[in-house]
Amino acid sequence: MRIYDMDKKCYTEIQKHDNPLTKIEQLSDAMYCYKNSMFKMVYDATQPALVSYINSLDTNILDAEGMQWLYFTSGTTGVPTGVFKTKENSHKQAMALIKTFGDMKFNRVVTTVPFVHIYGIDIGGVVPMVLDIDVWTKENFLPEELVKEAEVEGTLVVTTPVFIKALNRMKNNAKFSKSLFLTSTAPVPIADGREFYENYDCSVLQLFASTETGLMGYKKNDESILKAYDGVKISQKDGMLRVSSPFVTQKIISDGRLKRVESSFQTEDIVEILSVNEFKLLGRSSKLVKIAGKRVSTVQVEDIIESIGGVDAVFIKIRKEERALKDEILDIYVEGSLTLEAKTVKECLKEALGSLHIPFKIYNHKKILRSSVGKKIGFK
Amino acid sequence: MVTTNDLKEKIIAGLGLEDMEPDEIGDDMALFGDDGLGLDSVDAIEITLILEKEFGVKVTNMDENKNIFETPNTLVAYINEQKA
Repeated sequence: MRIYDMDKKCYTEIQKHDNPLTKIEQLSDAMYCYKNSMFKMVYDATQPALVSYINSLDTNILDAEGMQWLYFTSGTTGVPTGVFKTKENSHKQAMALIKTFGDMKFNRVVTTVPFVHIYGIDIGGVVPMVLDIDVWTKENFLPEELVKEAEVEGTLVVTTPVFIKALNRMKNNAKFSKSLFLTSTAPVPIADGREFYENYDCSVLQLFASTETGLMGYKKNDESILKAYDGVKISQKDGMLRVSSPFVTQKIISDGRLKRVESSFQTEDIVEILSVNEFKLLGRSSKLVKIAGKRVSTVQVEDIIESIGGVDAVFIKIRKEERALKDEILDIYVEGSLTLEAKTVKECLKEALGSLHIPFKIYNHKKILRSSVGKKIGFK
Repeated sequence: MVTTNDLKEKIIAGLGLEDMEPDEIGDDMALFGDDGLGLDSVDAIEITLILEKEFGVKVTNMDENKNIFETPNTLVAYINEQKA
């Protein structure tokens, strides 16, 4: 496997980088570590809350023996979790994914995603390494640029639903019949999957995954039923998906402590189990919104805004805007004497969550309604 | 001739910046990064779609057009140059 730097228009070496900043450096460093079985912590250094959490950890709990990766969730839900993975976990996962490609053969991977989380590294990096094909990437992709790359026969595109939606809205005449798009980080709406396939004569394989579980299931184009990957056991508790996965260890870091968890991980995804390896995603816990691939807890956003003087209570509802690239918008209902301005909210969110532009609309001077146990249930 | 105000109106509508008015965005305000409007990479993609749909202008190559995304002024200059 080689790494092609599309910005510099040249191949770059797989080597150690002590402080990898660019996508190319992140990929190069991660693949060097993987190749040489060197342990590496992987996290998004642009998330201030996450960085300060990691810096506060007792270094003794970062026990790397026998481990390849320690992936951290983004911290935008307020509780970053560290998940240890072995090299074998990543390899098994790559093989399970490759099996779902069927007869399709690829001669390169083009990836739009950064290499600071499980999707970028395990799928955008390890998969091409296992297939021994080149990875092409650049710092920022425009939809038009991705079209050009996807037209090249035998291209496996590792991307996100944002690009699927963007390419659908462009209505380009290009065809990618000898390529395959992989997406993850959020579901592609059924209509978008169908439109993409019809427009571009190309399939989108949607990977359903999380940092805590690795790959869980997949579906193609406008299918509504997810199939679990080989080795992944699915069940449900209280309507939410539980996953037992061979793609992660049971060793995690939670609340600043090293823990061994049950082999079955409880997700926040509401599902209907259809058979031993088939399930339907019905939704997510309504307290989580996905912005640019990051799970953001509305409870955490409520807490952040409630810390502003003059704000007594905040209630957030998630509104769907299907055509927008950022398709989940926060409607923020505010109780208190202050007329809260967007600028103030943006500053507070930036301080807590980093440079993540969250679409929202503020409704001031509302009365937040609570249940008998004090839970916020609505507004008037 | 497209003006910065035309562009700002389209950006506000397209990005769902519902609480903003065009005059709150300076002509030379950085669109991205911590010191300006604070848009991110997904917003950049949305802006390319806005340029195509609203002004009939395509951005096909990031390498050659890095600077056009800096401010409303640079974007408008690019739009008008392409339309000329």
